[in-house]
Order: sequence, then structure tokens, then C-alpha cells
Amino acid sequence: MSIASRVARPASEHRRARYVWAALAAPGAVWLILLFVIPFYVMLAVAAGQINLLFQTSVPVWNPVHWSGANFAAIWHDLVGPSSYIGPPAIRTVVYTAMASALSLVIAYPVAYFVARYAGRRKTLFLVLLIAPFWVSYMMRMLAWIDLLQQGGYVNKAFAFFHVPGGGVNFLGGQAVTVVLGLVYGYIPYLIVVLYAGLDRIDPSLLEAARDLGCSRTKTFLRVTLPLSRSTIIAGSFITVLPMLGDYYTNQLLSAAPGTTMIGNVIEGQLGQPGEQGQGAALALLLLVVLLVPMLYYSISTARASRQNI
Amino acid sequence: MAVTLPDATGAAGEELFAPSPAAGARTPPAAVRRSSIIARLRRRAVFLETFTWLYLIWSIIPIGIAVLFSFNSGKAQATWQGFSWRWYVTDPTQSVLHNAELHQAFVQTLVLAGLTTLITVPIGVAFAIGIDRWRTRTASALNFVMIFSFVVPELLLAIALFFVVTDLLHFLPLGTTAEVAGLVVWNLSWPAIVVRSRLVTIGRVYEEAAADLGASRLKALWRVLMPMLMPAIFASAVLVFAGVIDDFVIVEQLSSTAATQPVSVAIYSNVHGGLAGPALNALATLMLVISLVVAAIGYVGYRLMTRGERKNTAEALTTIAGM
Amino acid sequence: MTRRDFLTKAGAGLALGGILAACGSNGSGGGTTPSGSGSSLPLPRPNRPVEWPIYSDDAIIKSGLKPETGATLQIYNWVAYINEAVVKNFCKKYNCKYSITTFNTMSEAIAKLASGQVNFDIFFPTIDVIGQLIETKMMRPLNHSYIPNIANTWPDYRNPFYDQHWRYTVPYSIYTTGMAWRKDKVDLAPGWDMPWQAAKYRGKVALLDDYREGISLALLKRGITDVNTTSTAQIQQAGKDLGELTSLVDIRIDNNDYTEIPDGNTWIHHAWSGDIATAESYLSKGTSIDTIGYWFPSDGKGPVANDLMAVLKTGQNPVLSHLFLNYLLDVHNAFENYSYVGYMQPLTAVTPEKLIADGLLPHQLTSTVVRPSDFRAGVEELELPLSANQVWEQTWNSFAKGL
Repeated sequence: MSIASRVARPASEHRRARYVWAALAAPGAVWLILLFVIPFYVMLAVAAGQINLLFQTSVPVWNPVHWSGANFAAIWHDLVGPSSYIGPPAIRTVVYTAMASALSLVIAYPVAYFVARYAGRRKTLFLVLLIAPFWVSYMMRMLAWIDLLQQGGYVNKAFAFFHVPGGGVNFLGGQAVTVVLGLVYGYIPYLIVVLYAGLDRIDPSLLEAARDLGCSRTKTFLRVTLPLSRSTIIAGSFITVLPMLGDYYTNQLLSAAPGTTMIGNVIEGQLGQPGEQGQGAALALLLLVVLLVPMLYYSISTARASRQNI
Repeated sequence: MAVTLPDATGAAGEELFAPSPAAGARTPPAAVRRSSIIARLRRRAVFLETFTWLYLIWSIIPIGIAVLFSFNSGKAQATWQGFSWRWYVTDPTQSVLHNAELHQAFVQTLVLAGLTTLITVPIGVAFAIGIDRWRTRTASALNFVMIFSFVVPELLLAIALFFVVTDLLHFLPLGTTAEVAGLVVWNLSWPAIVVRSRLVTIGRVYEEAAADLGASRLKALWRVLMPMLMPAIFASAVLVFAGVIDDFVIVEQLSSTAATQPVSVAIYSNVHGGLAGPALNALATLMLVISLVVAAIGYVGYRLMTRGERKNTAEALTTIAGM
Repeated sequence: MTRRDFLTKAGAGLALGGILAACGSNGSGGGTTPSGSGSSLPLPRPNRPVEWPIYSDDAIIKSGLKPETGATLQIYNWVAYINEAVVKNFCKKYNCKYSITTFNTMSEAIAKLASGQVNFDIFFPTIDVIGQLIETKMMRPLNHSYIPNIANTWPDYRNPFYDQHWRYTVPYSIYTTGMAWRKDKVDLAPGWDMPWQAAKYRGKVALLDDYREGISLALLKRGITDVNTTSTAQIQQAGKDLGELTSLVDIRIDNNDYTEIPDGNTWIHHAWSGDIATAESYLSKGTSIDTIGYWFPSDGKGPVANDLMAVLKTGQNPVLSHLFLNYLLDVHNAFENYSYVGYMQPLTAVTPEKLIADGLLPHQLTSTVVRPSDFRAGVEELELPLSANQVWEQTWNSFAKGL
């Protein structure tokens, strides 16, 4: 074998290997392009498209040259115009989501912190209990609360039993509190798993070092644990905030009142209304654009982190 | 619905802890130091422990009550009228067994979960390996799209999917076909992310060693890498299966006839239509049992597969929950 | 039929080319319907009956065909709007399987049908949507030889104004829209303005989830009985009135009057008579049927309607579908269906007296009964011109999803 061919071999093999890797990635790539990238283009084509007058269905327009901004203008008008009706649900969406995710965090963090730091030998037991709701489907969790909150349900019975004023309230009768608590209950299992994993990863020796340097327990928590779990908290917030922003079912099941609708209900309603699908698509795209910044931030930081590891 | 972000904490953690190589492969800290600090802090954790128990009661009791009342002999959801299988089997019209809508939903959920898992896992694993080794701009772009698909709110994806199958991809009609196609793309990131982080942990040493010993690249991949990836693949299969059982938004948008509506949609549309009743609790309970069985299989399987790796119970539990 | 087929056909049927050509010009075509251009659809009114055309590419099936074998009859219907036992018996008789898919609102149903990807055999439309379903050739014209039971219906329905010579539809149910309330909880005079008077029953008041019914209620409350009004001012005023209900009573919107009134989760519900007629089977334990009230104006000036049955062109089983329509117009089957659904069918043998005598309707709820005379006194919600329809829809949406 000549020296030349020896040198050449790795290069050609390298090229051949690249085909292997490309081929491996191909099915997933095709799936992602066909059913993730293209669908959003179709959504745009619908939002910027036309309407079938007779059936009141949307007709996508594929060529960007012929796109129309009418749906976007209509949405904008509904959002900020004098007779805006999307404004209130948009504000509610922000308020409910902020309250529900803050509350989730306030509840989940101490729990995750306790299990990660103090559970000791009972850690397995706590973890099983902590993760159990994660394995119960979302709809069942909602169903459970519908049973409890009904007029004759246990919650009202408990109110009556303890003679607490406020009994006999129809909790499913358009109460913002019910919706926010429903969101908390629905999404907290996902959050708590993330928080636990993050907190568990913090090296106890760092905490010990802090204590050795004279920090009080509170100070250790504030100066060491909390800053170290900052990224976990951010990641956890993504988990609760993003799906809550597109939630319509929690609201529909626990309230069904116009006074508590969120942006997800508006979008879902428009899609189910002949003649309004284009506007629904436009509103969905608007939401996507608003969320683009946090989603890009997350995707880029994750992609960068995974690249650094290679 | 299970939108957990396994890589996020891991990735961010790495920047802070240079010594730990990757998510899931923590260097065990000195056991002695740990026990001493824990002992010192534990005494004061009474408040935290009480709080944790209260949380657990709040999170588990409602589900327990829902399960309990699926066995109630009457219709009431808050008055116990005796144990019965009425809502599962014996009621001639409303039980899960005899109400076509409900038992179809049960079957459809299993069909969707099975098909989606069978398609998603191989594609996702191949994708992860391909992207990891094929280091080009295209690969980074695809990786980015994959991660992006993980964080996009499900409603937005579901709407986009509805439009694409009704307006463009007519070979994917609404119903099981569209549902599976949509669920695969929504869940693809599970195997992709889980396997990829495992690949990073493993590094390329073993594969290169195999290549030095004369194995071809594919053979090295198949014989050396695959066995090492098995626990991650298995865990991701469990996650995909559970994710499909939990899914609501995509299947609601993409289902067509009653026969293609899974449990989540059946529960939602019945409650929405005023028919919340114990038969729905029974259906949900059956689904819960399936989920727990899958979780148990996932846990046991994962532990068996990682026997030699000094991993603890907690690690296995969190892995099958997507961490 | 795929969606693309539908679009091509719709394009041929109507002058769709016009708007498509205007695509790029100024964007006026997108979100808003240019008024007038779609109004080629005839609008049936009692004094202006409509006979729908039969298209050459949407032909009547031949007479005397055998029912399809090994078929699954796909039924698309409202939630809890047909007695499954009746369907079961039908399928036993004709040796077929069935599947009932349900929807919660008519808008939702139309949107799903319009996707062109569902192949239901039987659909239960309201009168105001049949025009668009026929013109887009979604419905199959009926072959009368399969449906001799039409003779059982009220004479009016053998040649109704909305579908002369019943070319596409047969009647399914008749009902009025009124107010249902709990007599044991609510101390108010029944009337259209009940929800607006119910401040002390906050959280226990609900409206029907239907844009026509909802806005009509607000119109009637102001004494406007033209529930097909095209006056933007009237419609928007109605929307405003509805909007007040959110701050007044935390108004809710759902079509669950049939369970929520009897189980006590709602005390005042804008309701359909048929939904309340079945209240007895949803009463919670220890509650008497005497507590359930249903009000419809005594002068009869309230919404009356009949829903229809139709055969969809997308269905795979046209013969079975015809037989199914006939089966449901059978008097015996109608009674069996009523026992679960609570909606009367307009059959001459189904009299209120007989329903009460047979124990199918508690005498306390005779107010839910519909008689032929109600159709002469009452008001009907009928198909609207497209531009007005859009005002109705938008007004409703901004109330139901917004405020």
C-alpha cells in the first residue's frame, strides 16, 4: 500500500461517514420539516390568505406576493381598537399565567428543595409521591377537581361543615381563582420534577463551604442555593408559562365564562367559527411572534450548551 | 402535554460546575461531607417537611377521590353509595365497557401511544446520533429546529398541523393518520434530547477503540454504541408513551370521528357537553392504571439496564419522568 | 370528497374566481367578507319558500337499492341528542355497525365538515345552515321512495318553506327556546330579562352557547322579535346588553342546561325545551321535579325551531342513511327516542297528552311541549345574509370570548 493511498483513505472514509450520519438524521429531519416547519408556513398562508365566501372557510394563498394583511389588521383592530375584545383576554392571559406560574414556583420550590436536601433515606418515597401526579393525565387531574368543586361536591361540603362563610359558592361558575388554581394544579407536576433535578444537582460541598465561611442557614440559601438554582428556575418557568399561554381547556372546563377567557380560548373559538379561521391563524402567529424571543433564547442556549459538551 | 425540559437544567448546570461532564452523570460528592451537612440541616427542616406533606396531600387526594368514586354504585360524586363495578362493566349503557364512545377512546389511546412510540423512538434515536456526529451547519440548524419544536406551545403547533393536513398534505387525513403524524413530531424531541445527552456522556472513545480494532463505522455503531444507548432509548420510549396518553391538544385538533378520539378528548368533550359522570372517572382510572404500569415497567427496566453503572433509585425515577 | 374537490366545485358553483383574482390587489378580501358578493344564496322565509336545486354531479340515489353490507353508519350529532338504543336497534335490523360522533356547537360542526376530511353519513343541521351545505354539495338529495314515514309528520313538514318538497332534509325535532330555572332557589318572575335581574344569583346563571340564540335572547329582552335582524345597531346593542352580564352575574356559556338545572349547578339557564323535558333523569337525589321550571312566553312570541336530518354526500352508506331517516320517523321509534332525548318529533301521533299519559313527560313540564300552533305564533331563527351573519358572529364572539 502506497503512502498516498494511506493518507487518502481516512479522508474518503470521512466523507462516506458523513453520508451515514446524514442518512441517520434524514427521517427525523424530513418529519420535522414536513410537520413542523411547513405547517407554520401553511398557517401563515392561511392567515394572509383568502376566505371562501360560501362556506366561510379559509383558503390559503401560497404565493407571498399575493398575501393580504387583512386578517392581521382585523386582529390588531380587535386587540387595541376602540371596540377591542381580544384586549381583555390578552391581559387576563398575562395576569393568570403570571399568577399561576409564580404560585407554582412558590409551592414547588420548597417541596423540591426539601426532597433534594433533607429527605435523607426517605428520598425514594418522597420522589415516588412527587412524581406520581406526573403520571396522571392532565384531563384526569381536571376531572378530579370538577368533582370536588361541584355544587354538592366535597369542597362545598367542607365549607358547610366548618361553617365557613363563602360556602355554597359555585366554584365552577366563572371564578378567576378557580382557573388560576386549576392551572397551578395542572402544570405543577412538570415543574416540580425539573426543580428537583436542578436542586439535586447542586453540590452539597458548596453549601458546606458557605456554612464554614460563617454564613447563616438563611444566608447560605440566599447567597448560594438560590443563585445556583437560577437557571433551574428559569427553565422551570418555561415549562409552566409556555403551555399556560396556549391553554384553553382548563378554562373551559373549570369556568366556561366569558369573564375568565384567555387568549387560547379566543384562538380556539375563532378556529371553530366558520369565517374566522384566518383570523385565528393570524392571532396564533401573533402569539408565536411574542413568544419567539423567550423560545429563541431557550433554544439557542440549549443548543449552545449541548454543542459545548461535544 | 408533558413539556418538561430535561436538558435545560443540565446544560445550565454544566456552566456552573465545570467538573461534571454532563446531565445525568454527576460526579458523586464525598459521601462523608454530604451526610454531615445534611444531618446538621435536617433538624431544622420541620417546616419544609410539613409543607411538603401538605403539598402531597393536595396533589394526590383529589385524584384518589376521583378514583374512589369511579367505584361508587350511584351517580353522585360526593356521596358514597357502596362499592360497585357499575361504571366499568355492569351498567348496560353507561359503563366503559358498554358505552361505545368510552371504550373506543380507551382503545384509541393505546393505539396512538403504541404507534407513536414505535415510530418516534427509532427516528428520534437515529436523528440524535446523526446530528451528533454529522457536524455541519445543516445539522446545527436541524438540531435547533428540534429543540424549538420542544418549546413551542402545543396549541400553536396543533393549529398549524390542522391547517397543513387539511390544506396541503392530503395524504394525511384527519383521524388516526394525522394524529400519529402530529404526535410523532411533537414527541420526537424526547428520544432526540435524551439520547443526545447520553451520547455526550459516552463520548467517542469506545467507538474509536472499536474502529481501531477494525470494526467498520456502522458495525461500531451497532455493536458498541447501541448497547450503551439502550437505557436512554428505553427511557425515552416510556416518556413518549406516557406523553401520548397525556396528550390532548394535538389529538383534539386532528381527530375526526368518535372512533379516533382518545381518552383525553372523550373526557373533555363529555365534560364540556355536560355529561361529567362516574363513567368518565372509571375511564380515567383505567388510563391511570396503564400509566402507572408503564411507569413501573420503565423504572424496573431502566434499573436493570443500568445495573453496572452505580446509579441510584432517585436517578432512575427522575429519568423516566423526563429528567 | 377532498377539500380540494370541494374548493373546485364551490368555485364553479359561485363566482369564486372573482375574489381569487382580487387576491393580490389590496388585501380587502382577507378577513372581511365583501358584502353582497356571497348573497346569491337564497334565504328561505315562510313567505318566501325556497326549492333547492338538484345538481347533476350530486344526484339522487336510485330506488330499490339494497342497504350496504358490513357498513359502519357514521352519525354526526349534538351531544346527548339521540337515544343510542334506537340506533342500536336500527343496526340490529339492518346488520350494520354505527359510530356516533358528537359536537357542542353548530359552528364547530360546520367548521369540521368544511375541512372536507370527515366522512359522516348522517348530520343533524339547523335550518339556518342548510343553504350553504346544499350549495357546496355537502348534502345528498333524498330519494323519497326510501322514506315513506314522512307521512307520519305534521303536514307542514311535507313541504316546508326552507326546503320545498323536502328535497334534502326531513324534520328531526321541534323545540322552543326559553328560560329554565330552579323554583326552589330563585325568586324572580320568569321572563327574558331573568339573567339581568339575577345579581343575587351570581355564578349560577348561564346562557346557551349558540350565537343565534344568545343574541336573540338579548333582542327579545328589549322587545325586538325580529330575530333575523340585519340592523347592525340592534345587534351591537344586544351584544352590549350581553356584555353587562359578565359583571352582573359572572355569566357562563354552555349547552348543558339539561344537566345543570336538575343537578343544581346552575339556577337560571337560557334553555331549549327539549333539554328541560328530560330533567327528571338528571335530578340529584332528593330533589323533586316540582323544582324545575321552564318558561316560554304565553303569547308564543319566542323562538321556535325544528332541527333536521340530512344525508351527507361524504358518507359511504347512502342507502342505509335513507333507511335511517325513515326509521327515526317511525312513531314507535320516535317515542323511544323521546324517552332519552326529550325533544319531540313533529309526528302527528306524538301528542303532549300521549307523552304525559305514557309517563314520558312529567305534567309539571308541559310548558316544554311544542304544538303546530307555536310555529304560527313564534319566531324562527333563519339563514341570514352573509354580511349580517358576520356581524352576528363577531358580536357574539366579542362577548363570549372577550369581555
